[in-house]
Amino acid sequence: MSAGQTGRGSSVFPVSVLLLVLLPLLLMPLAAVFVFALRGGPLAFWDAIRAPEAQFALRFSLLIAFGTTAINAVLGTLAAYVLSKYRFWGDRTLGVVVNLPVAIPTVVVGTSLLLLWGPIGLLGKLLDPLGLQPMFRPAGVLLAHLFVTFPYMLGAVKPVLDELETTYEEAAYTIGATRWTTFRLVLLPALRGGLITGALLTFAHSLGEFGATVMVSGNMRLKTQTAPLYIFAQFEAGDIAHANAIAAVLALLSFTIFFFLFRFASRGKGRSAE
Amino acid sequence: MLVKHSVLKRRLGATALLGAGAALLVYAVWPWIPMARGARIPRTIVFYGFSILGDVIDHGVFPEFQRQWRQRTGERVELVSSFAGSGTVTNQIVLGVPAQLALLSLELDAYKLAEARVIPPESWRRLPFGGVVNRTPFIILVRSGNPKGIRDFRNLTAAGVRIVHPDPLTSGGANWAIVAEYGAGARGSADPPRAGHDLLLGIWKNVVAQAASARAARTQFENGFGDALITYEQEALWDRARGRLKADVVYPRSTILSEHTLVRIDRNVPRRDRDLIDAFVRFLWTDDAQRIFVKYGFRSVTESLNEGNAAFGRIEDPFRIADLGGWKRAKREIVESVWKDRVLAEMKK
Repeated sequence: MSAGQTGRGSSVFPVSVLLLVLLPLLLMPLAAVFVFALRGGPLAFWDAIRAPEAQFALRFSLLIAFGTTAINAVLGTLAAYVLSKYRFWGDRTLGVVVNLPVAIPTVVVGTSLLLLWGPIGLLGKLLDPLGLQPMFRPAGVLLAHLFVTFPYMLGAVKPVLDELETTYEEAAYTIGATRWTTFRLVLLPALRGGLITGALLTFAHSLGEFGATVMVSGNMRLKTQTAPLYIFAQFEAGDIAHANAIAAVLALLSFTIFFFLFRFASRGKGRSAE
Repeated sequence: MLVKHSVLKRRLGATALLGAGAALLVYAVWPWIPMARGARIPRTIVFYGFSILGDVIDHGVFPEFQRQWRQRTGERVELVSSFAGSGTVTNQIVLGVPAQLALLSLELDAYKLAEARVIPPESWRRLPFGGVVNRTPFIILVRSGNPKGIRDFRNLTAAGVRIVHPDPLTSGGANWAIVAEYGAGARGSADPPRAGHDLLLGIWKNVVAQAASARAARTQFENGFGDALITYEQEALWDRARGRLKADVVYPRSTILSEHTLVRIDRNVPRRDRDLIDAFVRFLWTDDAQRIFVKYGFRSVTESLNEGNAAFGRIEDPFRIADLGGWKRAKREIVESVWKDRVLAEMKK
């Protein structure tokens, strides 16, 4: 199971150089969040977390993350399936387009959503009189998160599909399985690892999303304020203690997600080597 | 054996992930579960304000209104609030955030909303006190013990004084600071425009850092940057009341009282909520609300209440934007033509 330990020559030097670089770059800032969060004592930390606004922000962020993950799990898998199995005119372009959200600054995503769906936006203008205004509502936040995290599911599932031999599928069809049955019994089990990895990545990104959310949410306390926005608002108001407590919780959640990601990723490798 | 062990481990990992996910989901939906059973969703007031208002509205004024409203009608109402720089709030409202009330740092931002046709022109003028809810003078924050001996705006022009100033292009507070500096120089002088310009130029020659907002300038100063910061008295007093102020407050002989304007965005108020918004707007000018503003370091529009805060310093010659001809004129004649066109150009020489 354990890879590594096959060092040629001393590993002390390269490892210590890496640690020296990573310490101020990654590890110390993360540690600082926890140190500051607990500075006022565990009671102050607990109070900061229990504040109703903080609780709402955390719950709202989690709900959005769950929603985003569920929807993008379906949409991303569909996109991966179509792009992997079918050749059609413009398939390459589509493959680039669906991956675009990774490259676009999230603030730009937020702005463009506003300019499309907002009350003065292209489509929003038509929807506004009907009372169907998604922006500055939870729906707007969900839309932004779906957009921003779309490529993660796709990126995790498509490579698996690409490598999967079509013979299994064909075999399933020859014994009379419908497309849905084949998908459920042949493809889905093979995709499990990719789906879990994609879901965790999507969830983690949604939980931390800031740039697009700040544009489309209206940043309303107890209504559309996500945890990262809450952290920023508290920081702006000079309430570093409250900001840090929630930052610490978010960091902890992300660590947990990352821990699972890492486990699944390493297991995937172990299995393919068997 | 080995295979079984690894299968077991895998199962365990999957179960842990599922369990953790389920626990998070339950935690996230918890408050909404009783609501689904038919509990009534309370009516809300959507309130946007500029940055220094966060504490006083969320923890002072609104809870008191909520208590009184409940006492009177038995109904529980909630506040949905958002605080950012005055310019940011204004632009958000133009873009369509559902704000019902907004308390802006600068009347100019209210004009911007009117220009964007979000509110009828000058509608805020019909509110009590022309829409002004509270005031706070602009003061000078200096390092503890005042090592540079700063007593007035004039001392800021001395060589070697380093000033942190917010950027007037983005910050409402910075616009107030500029008219404070100009006005302090102009008042009582034989040649007001010249004296105002000279003081402004002298101060700006010593500006070593410009920050996007009054809040950001404050953070820079707190982190040890510069010798002096021109800012709202309220922020300094409120920090001092909480034992957080690590600087001295200097009251200039003459300075401006910034006035914060309330606007009502009626297009975001459903007819059934008119009564609630009306009541809250009225409440803001009651003695109860004004006393809370005073407690949080704002100066009340009802002068007699200002004795309620012993921390308010004395200003020999306070003035208001009306003394400079109102914001429209001040923006054009002071911020644009004196500061931007002349001072900025002369600074480079």
